[in-house]
Amino acid sequence: MHIQPILAALRKHKAGTLLIALQIALTLAIVCNALFIIHQRLAHIAEPTGVDESNVFVIENMWGEQYNKQQAAANVEQDLATLRNLPAVQDATQSDSYPLSTVGGSDNFITLKVDQVEPTTDATVYSGDEHFLHTLGLKLIAGRDFRADEVKDAGQRDVVVPPVTIISKAMADKLYPNGDALGKSFYSMSSTPVTIVGIVETMQRSRLGAWAIPYAEQSMVWPIRDASPLGVFYIVRAKPGQLAAAMQEAPKALYAANRMRIINPKDGLMSFAQVRRRAYDSDRGMAILMGIICVVLLAITGAGIVGLTSFWVGQRRRQIGVRRALGATHRDILHYFLTENLLISVGGIGVGIVLTFGLNLWLVTRFELGIMPLTYVLSGVVLLIVLGQGAVFAPALRASRVPPVEATRPA
Amino acid sequence: MLKMTHLSKVYRTEVVETYALRDFNIDVKEGEFVAVTGPSGSGKTTFLTIAGLLETFTGGEYHLDGMEVSQLNDNARSKIRNEKIGFIFQAFNLIPDLNVFDNVEVPLRYRGMKTPERKERIMNALERVGLASRAKHYPAELSGGQQQRVAIARALAGSPRLLLADEPTGNLDTQMARGVLELLEEIHREGATIVMVTHDPELAARAQRNVHIIDGQVVDLAEDPRFHTAYTAAAGQVRG
Repeated sequence: MHIQPILAALRKHKAGTLLIALQIALTLAIVCNALFIIHQRLAHIAEPTGVDESNVFVIENMWGEQYNKQQAAANVEQDLATLRNLPAVQDATQSDSYPLSTVGGSDNFITLKVDQVEPTTDATVYSGDEHFLHTLGLKLIAGRDFRADEVKDAGQRDVVVPPVTIISKAMADKLYPNGDALGKSFYSMSSTPVTIVGIVETMQRSRLGAWAIPYAEQSMVWPIRDASPLGVFYIVRAKPGQLAAAMQEAPKALYAANRMRIINPKDGLMSFAQVRRRAYDSDRGMAILMGIICVVLLAITGAGIVGLTSFWVGQRRRQIGVRRALGATHRDILHYFLTENLLISVGGIGVGIVLTFGLNLWLVTRFELGIMPLTYVLSGVVLLIVLGQGAVFAPALRASRVPPVEATRPA
Repeated sequence: MLKMTHLSKVYRTEVVETYALRDFNIDVKEGEFVAVTGPSGSGKTTFLTIAGLLETFTGGEYHLDGMEVSQLNDNARSKIRNEKIGFIFQAFNLIPDLNVFDNVEVPLRYRGMKTPERKERIMNALERVGLASRAKHYPAELSGGQQQRVAIARALAGSPRLLLADEPTGNLDTQMARGVLELLEEIHREGATIVMVTHDPELAARAQRNVHIIDGQVVDLAEDPRFHTAYTAAAGQVRG
């Protein structure tokens, strides 16, 4: 390898060399962090909800009349009976929210002691009856489901803190890391203790903003029947393979039972696949945006390398002819330019690694992004070396074809 | 050492064929110092580029150091250029980005020579041309004469069997040209075979033998009255 003379020659072309090295450094830093963000978003999108997603759909039911609490509760009871009687339906329940809903429900601070100031965690609260777990397909791994007599009606402004709850395993582990949460109590923004009577394997939160990352999968169900005068979510589980039929039957049956309701034709009826798509829209958008940024940056860097090398080949045509005259083969010239690019890339990558970790650290502190594993940097390094060598190959090949007689031609 | 027989070089375009060399014959023996002269466009440089395997030829035969070279591939030609031929160009052709030491080193690196041997050869060659103290200087920091000496050192460092010089003093003033010529004569006295292309009769007269090219063919000066008088006079001045 002719590294020393190549380095000596590069020292004579500082501006171009530094610009390309800097471009490589910045590209490495941005691409590595972007790839990491993409991976995090994709992993986020793929997170399980615990719901039987292929068979569950949701109806957002808004009342067309101002019902009082009792009337609303009676309507909900009647609607649930209607839905459960449909031939394609397995079960149905009601709630003020559901996993990935992004709307409705509430997020409560949780403490283990009544006078605790700093919360132990934060959890989504779903209202649900004794059909909630079965309808959503949530897997109970400890304790029991709600009994019908535990479920209470709650109007819009009612503050109800039930004595019992069913929580997710993630929440149980957070509150009681020793695995003995069942039967224990906690406080949820109230001085009334809530006792854990059941634990489900997975139950995703309703909202998935960046702030919720530390509280992932921490949620609970309270035995409450939503008797809001505004409306309610009906969650329906179709029999296996009958989702489409159930989704067609359900609104018709509800309207037939009571026309004083509004089910928005745009998004009032959604399969869980649609719910998932809507919930992760911004994550998907961010992943696509980051992907586009990566591709554009890599293309610009590749084009920069092609441009600079082509310029240098044109500028050094006579010099290449002299080298050929002095005994350089096609391969020697090709290697010269590939090695030259490799040296610039290595310099850029050296700086780029520092920038990559610096940028990651900044994102960690500002946006709660995780610490980037080393594999991303290694992948970025390999990607940029391959890009550099690929970009330089065509102009280097052109250089290798400069004939030795070029040395005798007038400058 | 260098023998061309009925050699021709034709440049073809769609409409015209131009003969740069036609039925060209030359035989340079080992240890000879031959000057190749001729007017502009006569084919001197074409001869030199073919002799130095920088270009291929169209017809005829060319034996270099006993080897017929017409069928050699590019790699083999590169190897012969590197190991057997030393070039001295009119424009010096030093690489401006490299210092004197690195410039002289270029052909030795392509030979795959080990560092200690390379170093020794470079320093010997630079001492030979009187520029050992300028090893770390860049070409732009040297005079024209010094640059040509570096080019000669680069040609000598590889211990070539044949030294090809293309107007080696063409870009130098008289004093510098004299110094370079004396160096070439010294190298020749030590046994090197030198073929020098020049259009300068005075310079040609310093060579052992003159070969004159007109219209791509070697002509006998003694039989051509147009050039006989001028070259004899110049040779008389130099030798006298």
